[in-house]
Amino acid sequence: MKTLLNKTTLGATLLMGAMAMGGTAMAQGYPDRPVELIVTFGPGGGADLMGRTMAQLMEGPLGVSIPVSNVGGASGNAGLTQLRTNPADGYTMGTLISLTVASWASGLGDNKPEDFEVIAVVQSSPSFLFVPSSGAHQTAEALFEFARGNPGAITVATSGYGTQDDVTLKLLANAGIQMENVPFQAPAERYASPIGGHTAAIYEEPGDVAQFVQAGQLVPVVVFAAERHPEFPDVPTSAELGIDISGLDNYRTIAVAAGTPADIVAKLSEAVATATASDEWKAFCTKTYSCITPVTGDAAQAMVSDFRDLIAAQLAN
Amino acid sequence: MASAKPNQDLGQMPQAGRGIPPGFLRLLPTLIPLALLVLALVLPGHMFQSDQTASRVGLGPAAWPRAMLMGMAVFAALWIARDIWVLSAAGRKPTLSIPVEDTPYHFGKAIIGLIMIVAYGWLLPKIGFATATAIFILVWCLFGGLRNLLVVVPVTLIGTIALLWLFMGLALMPLPRGAGVFDNFSIWLLRATGIY
Amino acid sequence: MAALDLLGGGFLAAFQFWSFMTIVTGLLVGVVAGALPGISFVNAMAMALPFTYVMEPTQSMLFLGGIYVGGVFGGSISAILINVPGTPASLPATWDGYPMTKRGEAKRALTIAVTASATGGLVSALVLAFLSAPFASFALKFSQPEFFAATILGLVSVIAIAKDQPVITMVSLLLGIVVGTVGVDPLYGQARFSFGVPEMESGIRFVVVMIGLFAIGEVVDLLATNRDLRPKKSQGKAIGASFRDILNVKGAIARGTGIGCLIGMIPGAGATPGAVIAYGIEKQVSKRGKDFGTGVEEGLAAPEAAKNATTGAAMVPLLTLGIPGSAATAIMLAAMMLHGVSPGPLLFIMDPTMVYTIFAAMIIANILMIFAGIGVAQLFSTLMRTPPAILAAFIIVLSVVGAFGVRNNIFDVYVCLAFGVLGWGMKRVGFPSAPLVLGVILGPLAERYFLTSMANAQQDWTVFFTRPISGTILGLALVFILWSLSPGIKRLWIARRA
Repeated sequence: MKTLLNKTTLGATLLMGAMAMGGTAMAQGYPDRPVELIVTFGPGGGADLMGRTMAQLMEGPLGVSIPVSNVGGASGNAGLTQLRTNPADGYTMGTLISLTVASWASGLGDNKPEDFEVIAVVQSSPSFLFVPSSGAHQTAEALFEFARGNPGAITVATSGYGTQDDVTLKLLANAGIQMENVPFQAPAERYASPIGGHTAAIYEEPGDVAQFVQAGQLVPVVVFAAERHPEFPDVPTSAELGIDISGLDNYRTIAVAAGTPADIVAKLSEAVATATASDEWKAFCTKTYSCITPVTGDAAQAMVSDFRDLIAAQLAN
Repeated sequence: MASAKPNQDLGQMPQAGRGIPPGFLRLLPTLIPLALLVLALVLPGHMFQSDQTASRVGLGPAAWPRAMLMGMAVFAALWIARDIWVLSAAGRKPTLSIPVEDTPYHFGKAIIGLIMIVAYGWLLPKIGFATATAIFILVWCLFGGLRNLLVVVPVTLIGTIALLWLFMGLALMPLPRGAGVFDNFSIWLLRATGIY
Repeated sequence: MAALDLLGGGFLAAFQFWSFMTIVTGLLVGVVAGALPGISFVNAMAMALPFTYVMEPTQSMLFLGGIYVGGVFGGSISAILINVPGTPASLPATWDGYPMTKRGEAKRALTIAVTASATGGLVSALVLAFLSAPFASFALKFSQPEFFAATILGLVSVIAIAKDQPVITMVSLLLGIVVGTVGVDPLYGQARFSFGVPEMESGIRFVVVMIGLFAIGEVVDLLATNRDLRPKKSQGKAIGASFRDILNVKGAIARGTGIGCLIGMIPGAGATPGAVIAYGIEKQVSKRGKDFGTGVEEGLAAPEAAKNATTGAAMVPLLTLGIPGSAATAIMLAAMMLHGVSPGPLLFIMDPTMVYTIFAAMIIANILMIFAGIGVAQLFSTLMRTPPAILAAFIIVLSVVGAFGVRNNIFDVYVCLAFGVLGWGMKRVGFPSAPLVLGVILGPLAERYFLTSMANAQQDWTVFFTRPISGTILGLALVFILWSLSPGIKRLWIARRA
């Protein structure tokens, strides 16, 4: 077994060399190798686009490459588990989005808000109800009026039961506007269903259906937010129609594992701030109707845990 | 080339044709559907870990798997029934037909191969992709009958580096780097090969 | 015709040096990646996505389109040569392609496969170029009940194509469907069969199962039988297919192409169900249907044509409606969105040059694929000359990387290896594994189409029969299953009387 011996000697030599190099993970040199960004959903979705755009824009300020890896599964929890269990050395970042936080409220995964340090909330958008331009009810008043008279007759395409979508519909039902929740797992099929006339409306954030809104196939009728959306000044809020539903915005954040050294978090936070201040980012968030002033630090952390508690409370009702 | 018929030096008794011991063979055709029938009956009770809160509307998340398991139970039962029917008279063929290989099948070699593959996957996150792959290729080639070190060692090293470069360098895949010293070694290697 | 003018402009743009080179590069990357066991074309496209950042939007689509077209074919190379499907859609190619290789007709099988694939792909690219508008509005008429019916047709095909006892096939298929239910359910967000393991909540992906069952099992058999992979020269004629060979299977190619074009438009379905349904129908239609599975040319040509015919068709809803129906087209959508381009009806008005360049590129790619396919197949045939031990070791490593790469998750590697051991055991006792894989692919689709249809119809199951298109497809499926099982039923009846 001469080979085995040779292999061992070779391995040992290499290892000793490596150990001499080791222990350089401290912050003064950070980052000195690529920083991985885990996108917690498959390629092609809203979280993926955000992650990839952010990765491109953060490469400059951080001075290293930021490869994106898609780790989909379990409503984003698979990727977060990976983020949580990787060393908290700032070399792994991840996307943490409201959909995943809502999934914690319905008992999915074993991740908690405390497991993550939110670097910044970079995108946020309230959701709307959209109706197809060929549909019978072109305003929220007409839609709600019909739903009041015909409970369950209006079908709304959503992303699932136990999500913000479901909570919103439940709140509407409590106010006497009972509409049928029709969950579509695949986003593409969800968007196609009202356009094809198979559902009467769709609950979605405007960024994800931007091209259909611009093409005039989908018409926004009501926004679930405290104020009207600046890009859609003619669309009333639900509060104006007598049902106050807000605080269920879709947001997307960049996060690292809890326990990451504070100076590394500061460095990443700075890089995110540089990225979000860039023209490219502005163009991106304008296109997806999701521009916000980035929320950082404790406020960002609180946003995540409050959101989970809010959804949990609503689902328990 | 070293690949020509390397099996003689292994003390395996090649079992002609089929790769299963004959005693087990008679039992197997009924054991499989029986196991699947039991599985189909037991699994519905283990579907969820937590309470079902959001599932009060519609058919619920359990409906589809339950229906499919029920279907599986029915067909597994049919399978057993058919096998009993086969046993009741001579000349009937059992439901499961065990394939006949046209070459001798070395059962022991296959098991060792499976163990090597599983060990590779198990070691992967512990010692990292590069180290695990190099060891795996080396050991597999040696076991597979390729004993010429002048071939095996270069193939191992060049192959590992090429795979590393292709997947971690070009395709930017976050393949496991290993834990502890192996992580440091992987980072050193990735720097040395210009990937990081 | 404005469309012809625009397409002409598209061809001019696509034949620009760099555009053309991009198509060729994408095509080669696709064929090679597809042919590597473990690395599927979806994998390859996801890996290629970062490279498109630096490209022009149109160029990035040419690149991804090339990988898509090449990758969907590429999987058949390893399926035919070493019985390991490079991508799930190439599964049927192992049924009649590999037996041909065993007879020493590898080259002939590859030529038939590449011709059929290119023909299917070309027709579907032409459909994309000329008929996308009517096809798109037709596709919008389809909703969840129709998708469900089509998936049922796919499941029925699995039973119809089985060589084994229908009972065993059903058990294997249902086992696969059950495996597919592991993880978060599609509507309620509840984790099923996780047994307290958080990683199990992510579910089990079909690519991972396929790699495990086919690649690992095959490699272990290779080790255990000392089989020689070197291309045999049967009676001195290692020739490709003659023109007559192709003419003989033209019916199969035509049917496969038609099926592929229709299935390709169904979101979620994609190349694999297309290929399986085409194989199932061909088996019933062909005069040599009884011999399918022993290396019949029609059995190879039909699914090959069908799977590549899904490529152009799958791009119809993407480009005309902005709705990606499959993982591959979702990656294309991401590439366009990252460049700030949103596909959809507006794109035809705002940037028709881009759209028609993509059309032209799809047409060119499918023609070039004949050369790329044969070239890469030649290369892989040469690779077969390396000692089997080295080849086997690299197939395992690639399989593990491929399983990991599906979601960059080490747990998927464990799942893959577990299915590898299972698949080896299944093979040894003759329990068919192909229905299991197809169950894992089609099961989750069927479930979510079924549940969403029910939710949209106030839980009224008659919706599947009262909607004309879905009712028709389900009726077809019923006829299909009775027709294909009828010889078996007859035989059983005769056996009982005897």
